[in-house]
Amino acid sequence: MNASVPARSASAASARRRSGVFGLGVPGTLGLLVILAWLLVALAAPSWISAGAQDIGGLPVFAPAQIGHWLGADYLGRDMLARVLLGARYTVVVALVAAVGASAVGTGFALLAAVSGGWLDTVLSRGMDTLISIPSKLFALIMVAAFGTSVPLLVTTAAVIYVPGAYRIARALAVNVAALDYVVVARTRGESRWYLMLHEVLPNIAAPMLVDLGLRFVYVVLLLASLSFLGLGVQPPAADWGTLVRENLGALWEGGLAVVAPALAIATLTMAVNLVVDALPGRDARKAVR
Amino acid sequence: MSPLLRLILQRLGLALISLLLVSVVVFLITAVLPGDAAQELLGQDATPETLAALRTQMGLDQPLPLRYLHWLGGLVTGNPGRSLVSDAPVMELIGNRLPNSLLLAAVTAVIAVPLALLLGTLAAVFRGGWLDRLLNNGAVVLVSVPEFLIATLAVLLLSVKLGWLPALSYASDIDSLSGAARVFVMPVLTLCCVVVAQMMRMTRAALADQLDAPYIEMARLKGVPPLRLVLREAMPNAIGPIANAVALSTSYLLGGVIIVETIFHYPGVAKLMVDGVSQRDMPLVQTCTMIFCAGYLLLVLIADVIGILANPRLRHAR
Amino acid sequence: MSDPRLRDLLGTADSGRVLDALARGASRRDVLKMLAGAGMALAASHRIAALAQGVAAAQPRYGGRVRVASAASSIADTLDPARLSNQTDYARSRMLYNCLTSFDASLAPQPALAERFDSDDAKRWTFKLRGGVHFHDGRALRAEDVVFSLMRHKDPATISRAKVLADQIDSVRASAPGEVEVLLHQSNADLPATLATFPFAIVPAGTRDFNSGIGTGPFKLKEFKRGLRSIVVRNRDYWREGRPYVDEVELAGLGDEGARVNALLSGDLDLVAALDPRSVRRVEGAPGFAVFRQSSGQYSDLAMRQDMAPGSNADFVIAIKLLFDRARIAESVALGNAIVANDQPIHPSNRFYFAGLPQRELDLDKARYHFERSDLGNTPIPVVASPVANLSVEMTLALQQSANRIGMNLQLQRMPPDGYWSHYWGKSAVGWGNVNPRPNADAVLTEFFESRAVNNDAHWKDPQFDQLLVAARSEVDESKRKAMYADMQMMIHEKGGVAIPLFLSSLDAHNARLKGLSTIPVGGLMGYEFAEHVWWDA
Repeated sequence: MNASVPARSASAASARRRSGVFGLGVPGTLGLLVILAWLLVALAAPSWISAGAQDIGGLPVFAPAQIGHWLGADYLGRDMLARVLLGARYTVVVALVAAVGASAVGTGFALLAAVSGGWLDTVLSRGMDTLISIPSKLFALIMVAAFGTSVPLLVTTAAVIYVPGAYRIARALAVNVAALDYVVVARTRGESRWYLMLHEVLPNIAAPMLVDLGLRFVYVVLLLASLSFLGLGVQPPAADWGTLVRENLGALWEGGLAVVAPALAIATLTMAVNLVVDALPGRDARKAVR
Repeated sequence: MSPLLRLILQRLGLALISLLLVSVVVFLITAVLPGDAAQELLGQDATPETLAALRTQMGLDQPLPLRYLHWLGGLVTGNPGRSLVSDAPVMELIGNRLPNSLLLAAVTAVIAVPLALLLGTLAAVFRGGWLDRLLNNGAVVLVSVPEFLIATLAVLLLSVKLGWLPALSYASDIDSLSGAARVFVMPVLTLCCVVVAQMMRMTRAALADQLDAPYIEMARLKGVPPLRLVLREAMPNAIGPIANAVALSTSYLLGGVIIVETIFHYPGVAKLMVDGVSQRDMPLVQTCTMIFCAGYLLLVLIADVIGILANPRLRHAR
Repeated sequence: MSDPRLRDLLGTADSGRVLDALARGASRRDVLKMLAGAGMALAASHRIAALAQGVAAAQPRYGGRVRVASAASSIADTLDPARLSNQTDYARSRMLYNCLTSFDASLAPQPALAERFDSDDAKRWTFKLRGGVHFHDGRALRAEDVVFSLMRHKDPATISRAKVLADQIDSVRASAPGEVEVLLHQSNADLPATLATFPFAIVPAGTRDFNSGIGTGPFKLKEFKRGLRSIVVRNRDYWREGRPYVDEVELAGLGDEGARVNALLSGDLDLVAALDPRSVRRVEGAPGFAVFRQSSGQYSDLAMRQDMAPGSNADFVIAIKLLFDRARIAESVALGNAIVANDQPIHPSNRFYFAGLPQRELDLDKARYHFERSDLGNTPIPVVASPVANLSVEMTLALQQSANRIGMNLQLQRMPPDGYWSHYWGKSAVGWGNVNPRPNADAVLTEFFESRAVNNDAHWKDPQFDQLLVAARSEVDESKRKAMYADMQMMIHEKGGVAIPLFLSSLDAHNARLKGLSTIPVGGLMGYEFAEHVWWDA
């Protein structure tokens, strides 16, 4: 068994050479570029798109691609390209903030629980179990009923829904690390709880937690569509990409761009985010600490 | 008493507290949501007179704490009351559908979990190679396709276009093995697309993390065969997070499959619960929540126990 | 044995008689003689005789099973006529039960369990029951059953959705064997039509548990699984000669429109309700499938509450009504499956429809004038919509578009379906409602426009309108009555608090071999009566 193996030190594999921007490697750099491109679209699209492009009945319903309307028309005859570009701000920004928020909060609590142990661990863990057991539809409805609809509320709701999942994975990773010799040593050395959490444990769970963040991002993107249907957050005519897929589902049987385009947009964004988190130097960070 | 057994018993005790807490929270939420069961049932046809009469029939005129205690008392004695909107016993409604949900979840899990573990392990072993990239990115692309899109595409292709499979699945039509297989193919396929990615990527991440660790390097230098290296040396340290990812995905299969149930008309409990929320059918929603919550707590307890058993440091600590 | 064209021309009874005669071997000459005897002009009777022969050649065939999906189903599904709440319930009730009367294509009441009904003053009505009718359990239909089935709606404990309608009944009694007398508080010439609506289905006296679905209807209940499906089998002792045609009907409620259409096209279903206008092209393009369209009085209305801002400002209300580009909305939102409405609730097919009312069109200049007089500036005005009010979200988007052009700042708030009727409808200052077809003008006006009505979603109060409404109800002179309804339509159009942009058609899709569907415009699936009429072509 490996229990006797000394705490980790610089490993051969993590010394791999990295290329590209910030040492992200080629795929990571590509992913970053795609995210930046979508962010640019998110910020700039409203000023690109003329008011008339969103007019109902401007084109035939589900019109195919044509010059000037490169993605055809949606279920109300609105220019689909404009819809996708405008949708970027609701998907990219909302989902990024919510996913990072959920992961950060979940990981933070998990570190606290793993390092502290005892009653704090119990309270946090069982609290998260309780939170995850509340049906998310019920939770979303009560948020709408209590606070009305707004984008910050949407971000909060999406983040809260995914905090317990992130917490559970992070805690499972962290308890393994917290039990390792060097952490025990640091603890007996009298290091503060914060030091243990941030300097000893966090770097060692960063890599898998980034993978978890990448997936959580995907989930948030998909969740947005069902939340906006419940009246939370993004209100028509604005729409996030998931909602665009859903409202144009009627074009699927003929492979209509109206449903394919937003689905592809989601795929490129989630792929890019995951390429970046895969390439982020989580392992190198650990090396730097040890 | 061994520490592990004590932990399990302690967790089971805490689970009861969690369940109680969840039931209170859910009860309070349903109580303050706009609309009660009487209003939702009568909708546009509500008049003050019929509303009042229906509220009395449903027992909604009783004070909130009393209703809660009444439901709780019933639950403890195994009878969580009657559904408000259908007047059928909650146990009967759930009993008709829970087996279907469990069956679907079980079939999906039996396929998805080993598949995800296998693919994740392969990706970790060949990390950085083309197979790893293919599996990793393929999983992300697959999970980023909305569930309703996958399900609808499957129906379009396999039922409408090719005519191989029935578009709808009534579980009561499952009388032969081949019939059951035909009914289950598309729901299981859809759900696999949803849950495999998380388990697979978590397996890969946790395992790769260990495989890069120096102790594995040392073992490799000592000449430990690759398969043993992965399964005996690296896996025990990675199994905790993997088991948790599996537990999270499996719990989703139990209660979160509303889209699959809707599109394939599969008679499971997820739709029962979502309808219950819409109709403010409190006894039904709460009992469903209790079942999902208990299932979830059981799954994560198993995951935690696996994590502890696999890691000697945790086994002997505390 | 019915054909819509023939029935429209002759009425149900006569068309049935003609077809019967043809089936017994009557010649064209015999038919012409029959028609002449009924006072028909010669040219018309030649046309009808030809049509009748054509229809007789395509006689319905018996047997087979029909699998149907409607749009909604949950554990709230019920077989209690008083509590039916959605399409699936309605369709099931029409298979299992009958009413005293039934609707024809123009929603005029026809004899059903009552073979005759009449009244001198529209206040005291007698219904002569059909003889030899039996419930599914073998009991004969008696007057007591009718008394029970009508009077139970007045008891608050029944929780009847028809309580408001039933409250106009003073008493119901068995006046003679096989005869029932209904006494109203006030005259109502439309009572026979009201009694053809779903809640007034006749059940055996004393029924408390409705789960066995015992009625006199064309089918008997075989399986009823709430929220899942029901199966009914043909009632061999059905009183209506030769009906129904199919042996078995399986009915399920599928919430997802895409799933319904896919299951139809894959052959797993034969008839599906509530087709999205966007699926019409797909169904019609698929060989062997057809769309069944009915124009009906169904509409969604934008209610602007008269008792609070901004609806209390008459200029704002007029501006909104002028901002609907109705023709364009009918085209791009409903894809032509709607007709333009005129801010009043009476459908053109209704005999009291007032054609002389000038159509209100999109007029930005006039709208701007009124909007400026309303002094609202660019204050954001929330407009509450929900998927439960048909097409309300899409129509608001269209409205928003024209509003932007005159500087009016409308904010769409899309609300979830649940909680909508109890908490937003009629409560928001500006918000959408949805009205299903009502059997007659009086019903829709009483329920949604009378000052005291619970469902008066715009809180519009006009004593003059209320007086007219009561007067029209008891007026026996048809032309005077017509003038009164014209005045009421005018009042709602001019001063009412609701904008009614469109009447929406109902759309169903079916296997093209399934025949026998014809219009009964109280809702989709042939006014939910399809089961009794459909048959399989070879």
